[in-house]
Amino acid sequence: MGLFDAIGIAGTGLTAQRIRMDVTSENLANADTTKGAGGQPYQRQDVVLGEIGRAGGFSGALSGAIAQVGGAQPAGGVQVTGIVQDATPDQQVYDPGNPEADAKGYVKLPNVNTVTEMTDLISEQQSYQSDVTAMQTAKAMFTSTLGILK
Amino acid sequence: MAGGHSDLRESVVFQPREGGKARPFAMALVDSTQQVLEAAMRGSWQRETALTNNIANADTPGYVRQEVNFESALQGAIAGGDPVSEMQFEAEPAPAEASPNGGSVSVDQESARLAENGLDYQSLTDVINTRNGIIRSAIGLL
Repeated sequence: MGLFDAIGIAGTGLTAQRIRMDVTSENLANADTTKGAGGQPYQRQDVVLGEIGRAGGFSGALSGAIAQVGGAQPAGGVQVTGIVQDATPDQQVYDPGNPEADAKGYVKLPNVNTVTEMTDLISEQQSYQSDVTAMQTAKAMFTSTLGILK
Repeated sequence: MAGGHSDLRESVVFQPREGGKARPFAMALVDSTQQVLEAAMRGSWQRETALTNNIANADTPGYVRQEVNFESALQGAIAGGDPVSEMQFEAEPAPAEASPNGGSVSVDQESARLAENGLDYQSLTDVINTRNGIIRSAIGLL
């Protein structure tokens, strides 16, 4: 247990939520992209979160084990373990005038639902705010500890 | 007067709860109350770390929330007359109702606990400050 663990943990939360917001923004920006990588419509991306030190694949397990051998408890926190593609099928929209339309007049649009992305964005913003609040609480506790020295 | 003081010291006994080992009261700069306050500060600090970790992992699927129950450990040590100066507390899994994402963290509850813990910590430091003030006035530093 270190003095600044709480602030570090809240910091990992801020980083993770910011990456989620980045990915959500990318999804929203590409909501109508009919030609993404490989000429296919853009595919929605999703962020996978994992706890640092206990879960999160090989590197997480390894760093947790090293910390335990060193006599210290893993500080904890959260990390982005991967950004995966959403396998939901593309949307088919009838729009014969679109240059990307197929022979029957259908256009393949990305599997991005704007409403889902906006609600995700709200949830990410609130999680970010919670991490900031936790960091401020830790800061207030440091300050009150320093007050003992006065 | 010197004899009076020693009588007072022998008559006042620090009596732990539940019939633990009684120790004669000795006025010292670092007395048992101070040690308990310090141990409680350590426990509160560890709870702060655990709660922050819960909030950071609010969106992690399958995460089990952690809690530091330092009060019960501290009460047990005081009742048993065990020394508290070197006590360490551990974060333990404290599962709550699972949320739709498979985790068990409710951010609003964690925030409430965090605020409560912050106030607890603040009150502990306030008590220590007051006690320090008393000692300082006694030795003429104020």
